[in-house]
Amino acid sequence: MSQSTEVSVTPGPLVGPVLRRVVGMLAARADLPLDRLDDAVIVADVIADRAGPYARDAVQVSLEPGERTLWMRVGPLAPGGAQALLSEAPDVGPIIVKLADEVQVDAAQPGVEYLRVCLSYEG
Amino acid sequence: MQPGPALIDGSPERRAGRHTASGSGQGSHADIRLTLPADAENVVLVRHVVVALAEVLGLPRPLVEDIKLAVTEACTNVVRHAYADARGSIEVAVLPDPGTLTVIVSDHGRGLRPSVAAARRGDGGLGLPLIAALAHSLEIDQAPDRGSRVRMSFRRAG
Repeated sequence: MSQSTEVSVTPGPLVGPVLRRVVGMLAARADLPLDRLDDAVIVADVIADRAGPYARDAVQVSLEPGERTLWMRVGPLAPGGAQALLSEAPDVGPIIVKLADEVQVDAAQPGVEYLRVCLSYEG
Repeated sequence: MQPGPALIDGSPERRAGRHTASGSGQGSHADIRLTLPADAENVVLVRHVVVALAEVLGLPRPLVEDIKLAVTEACTNVVRHAYADARGSIEVAVLPDPGTLTVIVSDHGRGLRPSVAAARRGDGGLGLPLIAALAHSLEIDQAPDRGSRVRMSFRRAG
């Protein structure tokens, strides 16, 4: 039995509020410190802001909290979606790349991409 | 507290109405779906998400409290009764429409406890009658080998 949490939201203004709450709570459950919890919520905001055009019917995120670790998998996304999430913000740079400990783009299936992001704390 | 409808026991063949999700716009034709392990801490997570949505949609505070209580009861029923000692999942769908918020709580376990029939007799716990009292409408679909689906709709007053 998977311990992951699956979130699916129709693209639009509700993606942000939903993802923010789910990511925040699971980051806390993973015992991430407050600054990493904030980072996780920022990543959720970037996903909410950018994933919509690359989602099919819904922005889908799978989350798996672990020992001071939170994995997020975004997708399925249309081609280019993962790069759109990883792209730079004006004056800030690539937000997810800067905040995450690990980023993976899965484009193994034709026409479909997944972005996997890990935030963790080892201190 | 909103006046409640009668408890409705759906037949195994009944299919609850399903909103199709397309387009955008504040609170219209949007689908939110969560699938999580059926454990107590996730009841809290579901409650937080549903309350956040209700607030974004501008639902009045007393209605938000009713929704929070009803959803908590429905999810707690799954956690406590759906899977006995096995692990399972809880599925929550939130379907906002102008003036109405529908929440569907589903599982793939052994059905509701106490049974709907028992709840109508006044036997067993308070959960189902409480949900019936809080929601504008309540539909229940269950079978021992297929799990259960509790569909609750909440309407803005007036």
